Amino acid sequence: MTSSPLAGEFSVELSGRVIRHYRYAEERMMRTMGGWIALTAELPAKLVLGRHVWDCAQHADLWGRRLPELRAAAQKSEPPNEAFVRFMDLLERPEDRDQTVERLVGVYRVLKPHLVAAYERHLERANPVYEPPTRRILERVIPEERRHVAAGLQVIARLGESPRVAEWTRRLADALAEAGGVTGDGTSPALVTIDVDGVNTAGDLVALDSAFDVTKVEPDLRGRVEAHGRALIEGDAAGIAADVAPDARDAVLGAYARLPRGANATEIVGCARLGAQRVVKTRLSGPPGSVVIQQRWQRDGAAWRVVAADVVGAERPA
Amino acid sequence: MDRPIAYDKLARENRFVRMRARDVGELRVEQGLAPFPDLASPESIRERVHGIMVGELQAMEGAGRSVYDFPDAPWEFTMDMARQVWDESRHVEIYLALIDHLGGYAGEFPETTILWRCACAEDAAARVAGVNRGLEGLACDVFAQLIHIAKKIGDPVIERAVDFVLADEITHVRMGSRWLNELTRDDPERRRRAVEFQDSIDERFNLGGARRDGAPEEVGISIAKDARRLAGFTDEEIERLIKSTQRSPVY
Repeated sequence: MTSSPLAGEFSVELSGRVIRHYRYAEERMMRTMGGWIALTAELPAKLVLGRHVWDCAQHADLWGRRLPELRAAAQKSEPPNEAFVRFMDLLERPEDRDQTVERLVGVYRVLKPHLVAAYERHLERANPVYEPPTRRILERVIPEERRHVAAGLQVIARLGESPRVAEWTRRLADALAEAGGVTGDGTSPALVTIDVDGVNTAGDLVALDSAFDVTKVEPDLRGRVEAHGRALIEGDAAGIAADVAPDARDAVLGAYARLPRGANATEIVGCARLGAQRVVKTRLSGPPGSVVIQQRWQRDGAAWRVVAADVVGAERPA
Repeated sequence: MDRPIAYDKLARENRFVRMRARDVGELRVEQGLAPFPDLASPESIRERVHGIMVGELQAMEGAGRSVYDFPDAPWEFTMDMARQVWDESRHVEIYLALIDHLGGYAGEFPETTILWRCACAEDAAARVAGVNRGLEGLACDVFAQLIHIAKKIGDPVIERAVDFVLADEITHVRMGSRWLNELTRDDPERRRRAVEFQDSIDERFNLGGARRDGAPEEVGISIAKDARRLAGFTDEEIERLIKSTQRSPVY
């Protein structure tokens, strides 16, 4: 039997069940990635998720269409067990603004490499005589998932790692191992490194190196904003007040009164044009974390003056 | 993750300056500018293109939320929304490149989140009516006009790239029409609410009279009747939109 070209590991029923598990993983991952796009600030990460949602939807769709050919209901997803649902719940959990890397790691360092490993294992075992429809899906999906991993890892590398992220990766891998992987039987390892050398990710990566260029700020305004930021750090009340338009003084100083203490550095992080006015964002940072102030500046003769200010963001230390 | 998420959870890099649409309009008017950038100068074209780029970002984010927020909707609905996510991600890339082409940078003008707020409707039918028919219909108007202006000023890069985006937007309107019909079949009250939501968005995005029936170089935003017909809007709907433009201040 085992030497026959018709020997095979998968029964029709088993094949259908495993495909429902694959579909569960692809569908849930796709929905999660779609939901995360709005929560993700960094443009390359936001756009790589946007690129891959449609591929994952097509993968889920391909699996779902295969099911009725295996005497199963079309487009049905089924997790292998409750532990896999818990793994996906855990993977979906990071939704704070500063958890982009955790989000990407869950998908691109844990789940997708695991899926590649599981799909490759399935392809090795699927019978070439009577399972070509499944094999064709695997042959399409594997390189796409591999490409996703390669692209996602490049974005992660650009955003930077931290001990927090390493710990998160371990937690996810443990949860996936506890579930026995996407098939629930532990046949594919939970944490795998797949070879992505030579994978072309040019179509997946957008704005990878784009960043705010402070030279876009007019030199005289830049000098004023930077001096104003230093005055804020040093608590130089007279210097601060001198930069603020008289009729905006109460509101602006009121906003500044809410700034946390302890900043020791200032940096311009954004500047938008609004007619002749400029809306400038400045980050004040120090050991307790950082805050971002949004100030509207207007020319008053030769000088620039702040006419409005608000604290628009806070970041904790990595 | 919450379904749907709060408006203020929309995340942006620090280089983007976010402001209320009303404030931006008022501050422009205070400086003697039109509340909405026209297409009369290179800077105003750049500002319009920048506004479109952030609109595409919000469209991608909104479509992504539709993928997540409605797990019980028909699978084909999810497929259409997932496809739209991909389309919008390419549109963002295109408009980022056009901003570069025009000598600008991402974050050069304030971003308003009025589009995003429209994309947060809790009902799937209302969301596709508002976003796919209302906002993507607006996109048809804006893009057809931009293509016209690009031809006039002899910029084949803008003309060609935006024409492909317009083709996608027409497809998105068609998706919206399909799902508005399918999701509200046998539920006229749900349909009424969804259409009402779309009408409210159409009124809001008449932008204080900027959108009107007229030649592309003569009005702020010209209603693209041909593109709208191609997208499946009926003549009656187009006439209703034109009438609504005559009575809808936004600022």
